[in-house]
Amino acid sequence: MRILRLTLHHIRRSPFQSLIAFLTVFVSFFIINSFIFINRGLSNVLNYFETKPEITIFLKDGLDQAAVESIQGELATYPDIKEIRYISKEKALSLYKDINKDNPLLTEMVTASILPASFEVSTYNPKVLEVIAQNFSAKNDVVDEIIYQKDVIQSLLSWTLVVRRSGIALISLFISISFVMILTLIGMKITNRKEEIKISRLLGASKFYVKRPFLMEGVIYGLIGSFFGFILSYVLIYNFRSPLNVFFQPIVFIPEISLFEPILLAAEILIGVLIGLSASWFGARRYIKW
Amino acid sequence: MEIIFDKVTKNYGPINVFRDFDLKINQGDFIFITGPSGSGKSTLIKLILNQIKPNGGDIMVDGQAINKLKNKNEIDKIRRKIGVIFQDFQLINDLTIEENIALNLDIVKYPHSEVAPRIDKVVKMVKLQHRHFLFPSQLSGGELQRACLARALSIEPEVILADEPTGNLDPTNAWNLIKILQNINKKYKTTIIMTTHNTDFTESLDKKIIKLGKNENENT
Repeated sequence: MRILRLTLHHIRRSPFQSLIAFLTVFVSFFIINSFIFINRGLSNVLNYFETKPEITIFLKDGLDQAAVESIQGELATYPDIKEIRYISKEKALSLYKDINKDNPLLTEMVTASILPASFEVSTYNPKVLEVIAQNFSAKNDVVDEIIYQKDVIQSLLSWTLVVRRSGIALISLFISISFVMILTLIGMKITNRKEEIKISRLLGASKFYVKRPFLMEGVIYGLIGSFFGFILSYVLIYNFRSPLNVFFQPIVFIPEISLFEPILLAAEILIGVLIGLSASWFGARRYIKW
Repeated sequence: MEIIFDKVTKNYGPINVFRDFDLKINQGDFIFITGPSGSGKSTLIKLILNQIKPNGGDIMVDGQAINKLKNKNEIDKIRRKIGVIFQDFQLINDLTIEENIALNLDIVKYPHSEVAPRIDKVVKMVKLQHRHFLFPSQLSGGELQRACLARALSIEPEVILADEPTGNLDPTNAWNLIKILQNINKKYKTTIIMTTHNTDFTESLDKKIIKLGKNENENT
């Protein structure tokens, strides 16, 4: 109890230095946590596409019924086919109108004749899609264009990778800033309290005894900073949950609160405490020479 | 606790303070260390506390050569048995007197439940019972010296090292402090080692006196 009182006394005695240390950890964890939530959402998007292997084959205009049936027949010969859906020009128009029902300007000018008919093929095995795409891209007489999920996934994957790598770089940067900031501030506080440490040592205090309040101080910055950083980012992200989920429909970008959040909070607090403890330990080791 | 200086030599650069200096202080002794400024009175206190190291010889405290102890914990343990009254008080300025005493009690691992009554007892002993909640900057020189004494007494030390404790006090307060130290010495057999310039005390009291000289040849 006495050590905690002494630590709080140290914090109160230099409130601005303490505030800087707290804010650094707080901002770091706010950014770290925001990245974790964004990354989680992007993973959900990626996962959605990855678990829905699908290819869309747009047909050339003017194909007769027999040609369409022949293509459908050929598609059915492939293994692991889950579903083959034929989207006629009329059906395509109806889908288009349904999607753009709130925007009559977009629907007025469009007729069934300008929209292509297509086949949507989904499989149980994504490798089959690759074979279909390869084979049908050669059929220039009947196939106009092929949209293959792999392209979407690869594009998403590359974007996700960029976001993840930037996130990891930023997280590392902010963890380093927090570490160096706490280390420096603890060093300054030790220098300010040099006389007190010297007196305590002369009265028989061990080195660990005089280090303890500084170690505890680092732990408090890590604990409080990481906790409030998490809470603020959590509140902000969940405040935007509805618009984000509407935007990414049918993908759930920010899912309902689950066990993930308390586990993440505990992990971040642990990391925050470890940063605070290690930084103050290095600071105390570096500056307490008496 | 027995303190022995065994052929101790101490130099500050080219200045020799002690050369082959021998001294034996027994448990329960009350000793005055006198001498002019620069004669090594404070150095002697610092050597006992292992605040500085001798250039030669050994300082045996509680049976151990404190200057040769490699284990810092052992030095801390010895220091926890010694109450010190510093010439410049050495009180922590942003702690109240009460907190300064509590800190020392915490360092010596005094039972937590007994800290408050112990503080009450020592502040009464030095007549600071109405001032112990104040900060050092709010006390006079005499009160600060008594606060230092209270802190030293609080840990029930085996030895009290008092470095010029009466230097900042008027004669009345100085004599009061001496009386308190005498009582402690008599009642608890606490060893008292006190440095002073004041010849009134040394002449009036029947105590051992170690006279240090300005010249190192005198401190042998």
